[in-house]
Amino acid sequence: MSRVHVTCTINGDPAEFLCDGGQTLLDALRDEVGLTGAKEGCGTGDCGACSIVMDGRLLCSCLVLAPEAEGTTISTVEGMASGDDLHPLQQCFLEGAALQCGVCTPGFLVAAKALLDRNPEPTETEIRYGLAGNLCRCTGYDKIVRAVQAAATQITATNES
Amino acid sequence: MTVTEPKPSYKYVGTRPVRHDGLEKVTGRARFAADLNMSGQLHGIVVRSPHAHARIVSIDTSEAEAMPGVKAVITGDDFPAVEPGHRQYDMCINVIARDKVFYEGHALAAVAASTRDQAQAAAAAVKVEYEVLPAVLTIDQALAADAPVLHAHMMTAGANPPAEEPSNISNITRFSGGELDAGFAEADLVIEREFTTQPVHQGYIEPHACVADTGQDGHTTIWCSSQGHFNVRSSTATLLGWENTRIRVIPAEIGGGFGGKTTIYLEPLAVALSAKAGRPVKMVMTRDEVFRATGPAPGTKLRIKLGVKRDGTLVAGDAYLIYTNGAYAGPGGLLGAMTVFESYKIPNFEIEALDVVINTARSAAYRAPAAPLTAYAMETMLDEIAEELGIDPIDFRIQNAVTEGDPSTMGFPFARIGFVECLEAVRDHPNYKAPLGPNQGRGIAAGYWFNIGESSSATVNLNEDGTATVVTGSPDIGGSRASMALMAAEELGIDVYDIRPVVGDTEAVGFTDVTEGSRATFATGMAVVEACRRMVVELRGRAAKMMGVEVDDIDWVDGQAVYTGSDGDKAPLSVAEITAKAKRTGGPLTATGSLEAHGAGPGFAVHVCDLEVDPETGVVRVVRYTASQDAGTAIHPSYVEGQIQGGVAQGVGWALNEEYIYDSDGVMENPSFLDYRVPVASDLPMIDAIIVEVPNPAHPYGVRGVGETGIVPPIPAVANAIYGATGCRIRDLPMSPIRVLDAITSNGGSNGA
Amino acid sequence: MAVRVHLSSNLRGPTGGIAEVEADGSTVGALIDDLDRRYPGLGDALRAGVSVVIDGLLIAHPEYEPVADGAQVYFVPQTAGG
Ligand code: FES
Ligand code: FES
Repeated sequence: MSRVHVTCTINGDPAEFLCDGGQTLLDALRDEVGLTGAKEGCGTGDCGACSIVMDGRLLCSCLVLAPEAEGTTISTVEGMASGDDLHPLQQCFLEGAALQCGVCTPGFLVAAKALLDRNPEPTETEIRYGLAGNLCRCTGYDKIVRAVQAAATQITATNES
Repeated sequence: MTVTEPKPSYKYVGTRPVRHDGLEKVTGRARFAADLNMSGQLHGIVVRSPHAHARIVSIDTSEAEAMPGVKAVITGDDFPAVEPGHRQYDMCINVIARDKVFYEGHALAAVAASTRDQAQAAAAAVKVEYEVLPAVLTIDQALAADAPVLHAHMMTAGANPPAEEPSNISNITRFSGGELDAGFAEADLVIEREFTTQPVHQGYIEPHACVADTGQDGHTTIWCSSQGHFNVRSSTATLLGWENTRIRVIPAEIGGGFGGKTTIYLEPLAVALSAKAGRPVKMVMTRDEVFRATGPAPGTKLRIKLGVKRDGTLVAGDAYLIYTNGAYAGPGGLLGAMTVFESYKIPNFEIEALDVVINTARSAAYRAPAAPLTAYAMETMLDEIAEELGIDPIDFRIQNAVTEGDPSTMGFPFARIGFVECLEAVRDHPNYKAPLGPNQGRGIAAGYWFNIGESSSATVNLNEDGTATVVTGSPDIGGSRASMALMAAEELGIDVYDIRPVVGDTEAVGFTDVTEGSRATFATGMAVVEACRRMVVELRGRAAKMMGVEVDDIDWVDGQAVYTGSDGDKAPLSVAEITAKAKRTGGPLTATGSLEAHGAGPGFAVHVCDLEVDPETGVVRVVRYTASQDAGTAIHPSYVEGQIQGGVAQGVGWALNEEYIYDSDGVMENPSFLDYRVPVASDLPMIDAIIVEVPNPAHPYGVRGVGETGIVPPIPAVANAIYGATGCRIRDLPMSPIRVLDAITSNGGSNGA
Repeated sequence: MAVRVHLSSNLRGPTGGIAEVEADGSTVGALIDDLDRRYPGLGDALRAGVSVVIDGLLIAHPEYEPVADGAQVYFVPQTAGG
């Protein structure tokens, strides 16, 4: 089977990869591009561990075919920190102990960033519904929600100053 | 919020540093098992049985072997034969079936090919001829007089008189104390209730995965995610008939386990495929495989009768518990028997527990195995009794709670425990008095779990610059590395961020048992403390040399060697000053600790749940939740809270939604997170964790395990709250909307109080 | 050395239901040997997956554990965990 050549932008850098026509974008990112931050928890769009943002939309990359990435702009968890500076969400997750095993963490960070980009001052309920597509089996969500609240406060404060 | 007894003041223990492995995990760099790739690696796929119970007549792999990209195909014949009576017989025939398959999803062959697609196609081309056998799918079917017997060798252990015929009962456990009839004769109120529950899955987000690379020399390296890599090594060796030295297991980061990764599934298959193909083989389960072939916790039928005096004193208890452990013998009933009456003083009791096999996946441990279900029964019945007697449910529990010196079900007197303290903490919390709205109810419940010790090893290496590396053999599933670093920092007096805690592979650290039974911070922590204390002896010796004084005149104070002799003043020496001169004082500074940890301290928890029931739909929404738990001493309070909160979420899911659903042939009908619904963020409120600290006298810092107890009280807490909201007692799990609605519409009917 | 040994109720078959018995021995293993002499069959039951509690301390693999004169030793089933 001939492979498909895909050109796109990943985390701000131009990227190219070859993939199979039926391969998921998640597999292509992990196996062809070598970005293993996005995880496969289910492969059926039910856990959010594979969350990425493509052309501004939060998606489960396990539900996207890799060739669909042609010409798109993709961000993954690997692109969240700028250099040594962690994104406030990453910092708040660390300080708030919002991860236990950490396998869901990349998906939560990407989804939470998408949420805050859309809604910089979400209520607790908005955070809970905004992250309802991401499963965490370890934390009971309490510290995740608090970390997102803390990050939102931090980001808003920085933007205002 | 923390309830504390007066305790020593620590500099590091009890603080909340950022965990050492955190940065890798928030940047996506942490390597979980499925993130590892080897050059030249093949992909392995398992061939699984579509039948719940069948004899394997033949397996024809010839077509699969001839397919493009296929490099190896294996079946049970590629492994040494095992006979019943072998110490790990069940594990061996579960990992790869021999002459029979015992459940839908049972592995019976595996294929390795250049790509996953090729391997999948080849797996589909493996031809298996089955003689389908009648499947045993429920407890009632398993116990029927004419039930098909799963295992011809299964003679009920613990039967009295001894079993003469094989059956589907693997084990009977009986405990008793006092005089049951006399006890009930004393009672003013006697109630008897029955409960049923379905199997549930641990639901860790990371599916099982491994890579195995077997060299020409017959040695193999396995990278995998497990709760215990030494167990992966020994179990894989057993299955293959190899010596342990031929297998090195390198632990990847583990994406959740909760007991489900205390056993093995893929690793021996990957090794055998890799040996046959001469290439590394990677295997990753799909979520569907995880549901069908791993993990479930037992389903049960429980019947309990309790007798109580008018003044609220429990006087008699009779329990008949049946647990299914899936297709093989398991400890569900035994553990149910050990927990059902353990939290309360019940002078007259009898417990009989059956462990039963059925044609579903082999059960694995799940957080405080068996205890959430006995708690469901007991704690909802206690609630009924308290209401009937007009006593506050917490006061009623305090009145009957075990305290230090009271005998356990097994007879021994409890050491210092914190049950009453947990009850008081919830009673005094604002949640317990918060006003409830319409259709809302409040439930409280308690839970108990033993915790275990077992073997652990640790090595402490001081680096040239005075920093330290702490290597242990315990996979870190919830932040235990941070706890190890905190205890080492406290002992050595080195800043916690100058300590690097590492999980060592099977060739880098001494033998360490599986991370289970809430033992990592307790037992492996003890090994770390032992290693550090040896290191301090060594450091004092080196400092004495450097100062030219007797070692007895050196104390270790706050990370420094301090001279206490009378020969004038000498400047104290820091760790960095001592390590800088290590070459001149005797060489590298390294110390080990390894032990079998005694004195695991029981953990108690008490939860209060407020929820709202939609009377139109039966949907239950938890609106407020507070959980107290005795941690002994919280080494890293954030991760203790996290364990409690995570246990609550799992317990709430178990209470309200989660269950395995099988069709009439034993095929699982809901093997996805869409149809097997675990709680999401919008299903839960904040969970207020109250850490109670009643130190465990057997641990240098007073630690009790905290990983498991938190899942024990939620089911009955939710059930009691549903009663509060609706007046309905629901005694079958899950308490799904349809069941709640049924109960409401037939209120006063069979589910009524 | 006389030691009071308590058997959890599931282990009392060989003693005819007696919960508390006397035994001699300076280690748990020696106690088990002595108990097996007094109550044939009890040794096997106590060697298979049984822990002890001595002075409040739970010990999972106690064979060589020393036992002081006058100690109270409780034999209990071994637990597992998740
Ligand atoms: S892996 Fe994509 S949603 Fe679960
Ligand atoms: S931290 Fe383990 S699944 Fe979220």
